[in-house]
Amino acid sequence: MTDASRSPEPMIRLESLTKRYPGQAVPAVDGITLDIPKGEIVVLVGPSGCGKTTVLKMINRLIEPTSGRVLIGGEDVTRADADELRRHIGYVIQQIGLFPHMTVAENVGMVPKLLHWEKQRIAARVDELLELVGLDPAEYRDRYPKELSGGQRQRVGVARALGADPPVMLMDEPFGAIDPITRDRLQNEFLRIQADVRKTIVFVTHDIDEAIKMGDRIAILREQSHIAQYDTPEAILTAPADGFVEDFIGAGAALKRLNLTRVREVPLDHWPAASVHEDRARLRRLLAESEQGSLLLLDEEDRPLRWVTARDLAREREPLHRVGLPATAVVEPHATLHDALDEMVTSTVGCAIVVDRRGRYQGVVDLGTVTSAIDEMRSDVRRRDRAVAEAEAAPGDAVGEVG
Amino acid sequence: MDFFDYLGNVPEYLRDEWRSYLDLAIDHAQIVVTAILIATVIGVGLGVLTYRRPPAAKVVLTVTGTFLTIPSFALFGLFIPIFGLGSRPAIVALVMYALLPIVRNTITGLRSVDPAVTESAVGMGLSRGQRLARIELPLAWPVVVTGIRVSTQLTVGIAAIAAIVNGPGLGGPIFQGLRATGTQRGFNLAFSGTVSVALLALLFDLLFQVIARLTTSKGLR
Repeated sequence: MTDASRSPEPMIRLESLTKRYPGQAVPAVDGITLDIPKGEIVVLVGPSGCGKTTVLKMINRLIEPTSGRVLIGGEDVTRADADELRRHIGYVIQQIGLFPHMTVAENVGMVPKLLHWEKQRIAARVDELLELVGLDPAEYRDRYPKELSGGQRQRVGVARALGADPPVMLMDEPFGAIDPITRDRLQNEFLRIQADVRKTIVFVTHDIDEAIKMGDRIAILREQSHIAQYDTPEAILTAPADGFVEDFIGAGAALKRLNLTRVREVPLDHWPAASVHEDRARLRRLLAESEQGSLLLLDEEDRPLRWVTARDLAREREPLHRVGLPATAVVEPHATLHDALDEMVTSTVGCAIVVDRRGRYQGVVDLGTVTSAIDEMRSDVRRRDRAVAEAEAAPGDAVGEVG
Repeated sequence: MDFFDYLGNVPEYLRDEWRSYLDLAIDHAQIVVTAILIATVIGVGLGVLTYRRPPAAKVVLTVTGTFLTIPSFALFGLFIPIFGLGSRPAIVALVMYALLPIVRNTITGLRSVDPAVTESAVGMGLSRGQRLARIELPLAWPVVVTGIRVSTQLTVGIAAIAAIVNGPGLGGPIFQGLRATGTQRGFNLAFSGTVSVALLALLFDLLFQVIARLTTSKGLR
């Protein structure tokens, strides 16, 4: 399957799901239909009051739908035993809601206990989960929630939701009440955990940047949970479906798109570089042969040291490691193009130096690299849209619904 | 003779009689404990049944509140034709007086549980009963215990009046003493009975501090 928008069997399928509250003229959620592929994070994002949380809560039936169906693993759960259903769906909310009278271990082991696991198995599972979320079990298992920081509580909340290893997790603004720095760290950690556990996750947020960061796919909802666009972050940023989506993404879509590509995914440019211990005549020749106006000097371990020009090289009395300008604007391969661009604009030579984990010089990225990455993304989306259009035009070939 | 003259003679009286006051105090404590246990079962039960139904809660609080306004002397008297004499009418009356603080604190405690905690409990698949037993009641417990403690203080005092229906306890010497007002014997009886009641109330209070500490999760302290 090369076509990303057409995955085999969705883990969760919402079918014309509707919630109508008595006494209200319009339904809160009006017939949303959505396929959520297995092992992906699907983010529901939209302005407040668009019903995204209502959609989420209808999946574990904290809110009973007025009509429509929810299929999980192909099974209609709208008529199943609600408590039993919820024990197999992880649930994380913004306020976390840890049980204050129970220890961390009792909180995390709650659902396994409800499912009558043996004591030893629960204890082992609790330790495993605490490790997973980065809390040392020996130190934290017997603490009470009030003895934890906000970030630690949220980790325990995630560990608790993973308790009985549910295939599906629902997360309602899970990082909404946490300070920006901790939030960023928790988001990264959560993505790392998800890379391991591969749960099917429905994630609600009002923050488009969080949606872009966390989502494998994003459903942008307008009022009454009508889907404005359901696609990958790349596609939404590159080709917003309409004015509503464009407005919602806000200014700087191109810059946001740069968050989606990492330095290691783009071809690096090569800049004339040489060891600081080379003799000056060779350095001068190297510089003269290149098209660039300056040379990057590296230390004995290949780490970027100085930018030097022909004029700097001519100052024979100064040692080489003191002439020219310091080599700043250094990024590692896992940095995003957005990070690289940020460094680039502050750099003296207009490019960011890429180094490996040990700080060894790998190459550079410049504005040209960034521009062509954007072009690449744009044509990818166009190519895919064309393929989808062709598939739709040939009905015999259309296997499933296109998202 | 003035108050202090009477008082001066009390120690000598108690040296001979303290054993009988101890016995009376034990009887007194027994009816109080019985009444409180019954009132706790009924009161917590009513609280659990009504905390989510404001109209029902209001009815229960109004009725149990009205019980408290009935003069105890009159209530004990009214019960004689129904329950006869002895500890039975005493316990019934004490239960009625003990209800309000327990019901009210149960409702308050259960309603003060953080909605996020309840939501996550529901979201994790705890059934209605599991939620109540494992989450809501343990969280409301410190407030409920306070209610029980207040009720106990209240009933220790009121139980003395149970003597008029021939109820057991420290009310006996107090009433005898009041009938002999103006004599040293009357003073001895009334004073010793009253002080014993106060001491008993103090003991119960200490006991409840220990109970509250032992039965409240460390995470809530």
